[in-house]
Amino acid sequence: MKANHDLNHMCFTMFPYTSSPRLFLHGLRILWTIWLPLIGLFSILGCTESLSDHTLRFGLANSPSNLDPRYATDATSARINRLIYSRLVDFNEEAIPIPALASWIEVSPTHYRFDLREPRPIFHNGAQLSAKDIKATYESILNPERASPHRGILQLIARIDTPTESTVDFFLKQPDSLFPGYLVIGILPANLIAGGHPFHDLPIGSGPFRFLERPDETRLVIERRADGQRIEFLRIPDPTVRTLKLLAKEIHLIQNDLPPELVSYLSAHDGITLQQRQGANFAYLGFNQLDPVVGQENVRKAIAHAINREQIIQFALKGRARVAQALFPPEHWAGLSSLTGYNYNPEQAKTLLKEAGFTPDHRPAITYKTSTDPFRLRLATIIQYQLHQVGIDVSIQSHDWGTFYGDIKAGHFQMYSLAWVGVKSPDIFRYAFHSDAIPPAGANRGHYSDAVADHLMTQAEHTSDRPVQQTLYRTLQARLSETLPYVPLWFEDHFALSSASITGYQLGADGNFDGLSQVRWATSPSQQVALLHP
Amino acid sequence: MIGLLGVMCLVFLLIHLIPGDPVEVMLGESAQPTDKETLRHALGLDLPLYQQWWIYFKGLLHLDFGTSLFSGRAIGDLLIERIPATLYLSLVSLLVAITVALPLGLLAAVRQHTPLDYGAMGFALVGMSIPNFWMGPLLILVGALWLGWFPVSGQEGWNSVVLPALTLGTAMAAILARMIRSSVLEILGEDYMRTAQAKGLSATRAVMLHALPNSLLPILTLLGLQLGGLLGGAVITETVFAWPGLGLLMIEAIQQRDYPVVQAAVLCISVTYIVVNLLTDLLYAWLDPRIQFKTD
Repeated sequence: MKANHDLNHMCFTMFPYTSSPRLFLHGLRILWTIWLPLIGLFSILGCTESLSDHTLRFGLANSPSNLDPRYATDATSARINRLIYSRLVDFNEEAIPIPALASWIEVSPTHYRFDLREPRPIFHNGAQLSAKDIKATYESILNPERASPHRGILQLIARIDTPTESTVDFFLKQPDSLFPGYLVIGILPANLIAGGHPFHDLPIGSGPFRFLERPDETRLVIERRADGQRIEFLRIPDPTVRTLKLLAKEIHLIQNDLPPELVSYLSAHDGITLQQRQGANFAYLGFNQLDPVVGQENVRKAIAHAINREQIIQFALKGRARVAQALFPPEHWAGLSSLTGYNYNPEQAKTLLKEAGFTPDHRPAITYKTSTDPFRLRLATIIQYQLHQVGIDVSIQSHDWGTFYGDIKAGHFQMYSLAWVGVKSPDIFRYAFHSDAIPPAGANRGHYSDAVADHLMTQAEHTSDRPVQQTLYRTLQARLSETLPYVPLWFEDHFALSSASITGYQLGADGNFDGLSQVRWATSPSQQVALLHP
Repeated sequence: MIGLLGVMCLVFLLIHLIPGDPVEVMLGESAQPTDKETLRHALGLDLPLYQQWWIYFKGLLHLDFGTSLFSGRAIGDLLIERIPATLYLSLVSLLVAITVALPLGLLAAVRQHTPLDYGAMGFALVGMSIPNFWMGPLLILVGALWLGWFPVSGQEGWNSVVLPALTLGTAMAAILARMIRSSVLEILGEDYMRTAQAKGLSATRAVMLHALPNSLLPILTLLGLQLGGLLGGAVITETVFAWPGLGLLMIEAIQQRDYPVVQAAVLCISVTYIVVNLLTDLLYAWLDPRIQFKTD
């Protein structure tokens, strides 16, 4: 120890004044000699070329998983595929199917004729879209060997005929008045389908944008056919980093998928524009009807009365949502605006619990499953507190998305929170609430079974008279509100945050990216470059 | 080879033990049961496990990792796309770590119990304590937003590596500096260091020629482990900086339940660990001739 101390002392006194640290520098030189070529090599291999400043950049939380519309199931793919491909049918603001590529007539309950509108669009490979392309697209979806996830709902198609270049006849196995609303899948060129073209890697459609490149899974570049404006979608998973990237002007646009506090933070900045509009994504609490506690209607009603949704919307969601009373919002053609639902009434909740046989000494205990998303977890904690106030003990279980969703699909839950996203067609009622739709046949995960509701669904599906159908679906929603398989929570608003350098972007009704067709630079590209690099 | 085979078997079995059905992932909840069966058959998932393992093993021999359930792309292509980015980030991070830790650890050792030592170890403590998911945004705020020197995230140009490499490198440097300090301190107490002092060697030469080379072995072990971890994908840092590397690929695949991609990524990471550790062992023998590998 003495020697060590002496040496330390010597080092302390001599180190700054003794011979130059040549050996150390020599060591560093060797290090650099080995390291720098390696770094150089991998920087060449790994670095992606940055696009010109004329490219408009759109920050996304998730990459599109599949650019072939026959296989895409996630929301981001659906929104981007809408830009690349055209579809037969679209929806208006009231979610009523409207003609997109074609108008249609119901020749008989099992025969629909679609007439393509003129001029027919041109595919990105130069061919003109025809009835054969529509037939080929839908037949490839119906081919069991192709294993398209959209085959289930389209299986009612018995045959597709193309009497002319611009006419398509769909023959159904059974009547379904909602059928036109199912034809929203992007149309692909028939000859490329036959040739096994890899649409996922090289999508070719007839939409307003054409695919340019996908350097890696985190980046996608498309080009507007009208004027050659390039749009680059960038996957930036972290919401804070997405926010900082918009502030640093590295991206020009963000849409949805940000916690409310970051939206407020960004909108307070000069040079950032916030657009907001009411959404229709339905957030709800689901219950396992087979459970002895939440299987009781009075307990579910007590939960509905115990949750102060207005307060949650005001403080946690920063006012960027509206209270939901049913699966469809009032503006939906099948929506029910007169439904009052369950107001916040803790005393009523306590009374209902008492009627269900629970007392302050014998409190119901419920496990609430949610994902690990911090914001969803925060909402779950608020609901847990509110339910505790009326005498319900809630324990929260949060799992990663895959495990959580797997548990819900398998029926391993007492109570959970989820949202139906992008739902427009009332066939959702059969899928989510019919007693025949218990998984794996459908998404009736809570094993809800009600003969009245089943009968209303069947009646609505077998009529093609829209007012009658509307009445039946509204009656059904009133019935669901009464029996409460779900406690409706809210419809979250859509929002877009854009930098001052762009203008003309209109936020889509269902959060789609259609506004990219009109977006343009607020200044000319040369001025834009000057702004970015002063 | 036995290690690799063991890893391959373990990865295969673990992936098949995880709850969830890849067919349901591909077709979605609304798919028909007949379609699910057709696809299950087409993917060979209806075969007994040992047959599935044999097919997987044969594929691996041809470097065929299968295809992604979500994108339908060959997993080999996905790995080739992501590995250079991870290698690039790892090497730069290691460079940052060594450049910071070596002088810091050495100075802390030779000036033990001085303000310099306390400062260096204080830095090490802070560096180890700050998690990457906090350090990353902090560096972005300063380096990208306030100073405007570097891009916030992504991999677009030479300077985009600076912030993620600093995030990773600082944490590594902190651990490395502590290791260098304790390792050099141990050597400074050895007899041959006193001899070096007695024969009139300057303090710098004594430390650089005798103390540092002899303290390298434990440092090398740590470096090997850290490099193995980096090459396995710095998951948090790659996520924060949207760095398109192996870590981000694996996180995406886990979230999507894209089992073949998870399988390939885990295998790739395991192989990297084995190879890096093997190279570290070989390097031991090269650096210290007293260490020999014996085969009985």
